[in-house]
Amino acid sequence: MRALAANIEEVFREAAARWTLLAYFALSSLFILLFAVAVNLDVVNGALAGAKIFGANVHMGRESVDLDKLVLGFESGFAGFLYVVGTFLAIFATAHLVPRLMEKGTVDLYLSRPVGRVPLLLSRYLGGVLLSASNLLYLLGSMWLLVIWKTRLVHPRFLLAAGIILFGIAALMAFAFLVGTLTSSTAVSIMATFAVFFLSIVLANLHGHTAMFSSEWAVWLVNGLYWIFPKIVDIGRAVVGLVSGENGPIRDRGALALSPFLSTGLFGLVSLTLACLRFRRKDF
Amino acid sequence: MTAAIEVRGLRKTYRPAFGGRAIDALAGIDFAVQPGELFGLLGPNGAGKTTTVKILLGLTHATSGEASLLGLPASDPESRRRVGYLPEGHRFPGYLTARQTLSVFGRMSGVDHRTLKARIPGLLERVKLADWIDVKVKKFSKGMTQRLGLASALVHDPEVLLLDEPTDGVDPVGRREIRDLLRAEASRGRAVLLNSHLLSEIELTCDRVAVLRKGKVAAMGTVEELTKKREEKISSNGYKLVASPLSEELLSDFFERGASPERVNGHVRVLARDAAHLNQLVDATRARGALLTELTPEKSSLEDVFVDLVRAGDPPSDSPSSPSKKSESAA
Repeated sequence: MRALAANIEEVFREAAARWTLLAYFALSSLFILLFAVAVNLDVVNGALAGAKIFGANVHMGRESVDLDKLVLGFESGFAGFLYVVGTFLAIFATAHLVPRLMEKGTVDLYLSRPVGRVPLLLSRYLGGVLLSASNLLYLLGSMWLLVIWKTRLVHPRFLLAAGIILFGIAALMAFAFLVGTLTSSTAVSIMATFAVFFLSIVLANLHGHTAMFSSEWAVWLVNGLYWIFPKIVDIGRAVVGLVSGENGPIRDRGALALSPFLSTGLFGLVSLTLACLRFRRKDF
Repeated sequence: MTAAIEVRGLRKTYRPAFGGRAIDALAGIDFAVQPGELFGLLGPNGAGKTTTVKILLGLTHATSGEASLLGLPASDPESRRRVGYLPEGHRFPGYLTARQTLSVFGRMSGVDHRTLKARIPGLLERVKLADWIDVKVKKFSKGMTQRLGLASALVHDPEVLLLDEPTDGVDPVGRREIRDLLRAEASRGRAVLLNSHLLSEIELTCDRVAVLRKGKVAAMGTVEELTKKREEKISSNGYKLVASPLSEELLSDFFERGASPERVNGHVRVLARDAAHLNQLVDATRARGALLTELTPEKSSLEDVFVDLVRAGDPPSDSPSSPSKKSESAA
């Protein structure tokens, strides 16, 4: 346990020493700061009577706007935006974890300790997930507190969206680990993971329009791949749906169905299992 | 008594992923290292030294045979709890300081934080890095990194040390310090397996050596045993003869008497079959009016043993399979 904790701590130290993570925190902080300074809301009896963005008045019309709806709209949109950006940054910040471990001269130092290969890899994975979670919590948590400060409205679901975003990141990170164990290359891990990300979006769009395919095998292929790949689009809808609740678009209201989570979780689990098997059998 | 390190019938065959010829890195080797023993593993490049060490540490899987550390199979991660390893060309994370490096790898070996806090300064003092304790590793020279590697191998006070080229990049004074440190560890009952290309280092440090050649143990024993065996095998012994003047006529005399003279840095090296033959050569020197100032028998070194063993494994130069013969026939 002590060895695994040291390994997780090492992941954080390594991340702190890398510019990508510092850049992520710096960008996140800048975004939070801009939002804090730029947006000034005039709230009267729970409704938005006036707003200023960067000092300029926003035209509100004759009627005051329902503040709760406005904030929920912002939070759900921001959560969806963060789902994409957060996933990209998380993969960038953690894809090196396996290739760096497997470098000649480094792997010997780790494997010569009394730690099994699978626990070593899994502790690295856990370190990566915790790292992504800390980034997400920093950004979402800060925005959540800012919204409370500016509007006095508390929407805990916005914070809970971090859980779903992290679930998507964890599944993709497992795939990045698998590619890392197979190729020992950070660049290939990033490219392959992003390829899965985009391909799953394409598959999600094609999946609902199988009538456009002329051959049976093409339909079978698209449907098969759709169920194998992680459900990036469905998970994104679930993030928006969770935050907006009944106020969101109709297409997102039933988005918290179980099957996309199960198939995405299975994708991550299979990827991680294969990564462990490969790492366990490899000769260094 | 349980051997600290034991290898029996160890084989490793590397099979290329996409066909091609399989390579036998180890073709069944056996040896054992006892507690308190300094054991050297020698061999030319590709002889199987590093593969042996990697199998012992679970970095590579054996094709067949057994490898154990302190009675536990090498495949069991628990066997490495009491083993310190210094790999060749190791790369510690550059962003860690010497103290942090030892802390991370010490904890990975199961040592608690409090023990490490007390142990690390003393350990860095031992490897002469005390002044660099809070400096980042990326600022270290190669020799300093090597010393840190040694400290990392010792941080959990292991009973077995496996060291791959421990003096690589270290200056002569540092080499002596490392030799002294290894002797001190052996005197505390630690078993040390040293893997090095520096034969003089091995000769000065190790109690026993094994020479690997093409994945097999070609010779094993103490340095004295191996050199003595060589001297027994050869029909004539070499002598360093210093006389003045060393004329061409005198050399011709030596040649006629079958001494195979060879000029080396102001003296002559002669081969004598026995004492009578040696005295004949001394008489010839005096007869030519030369003044004999030194006559020293040449001792076989570990390097001589090593070169003989490696050459013995090479195909003879006139064999049909030798590359030179092939190129000649092709020409």
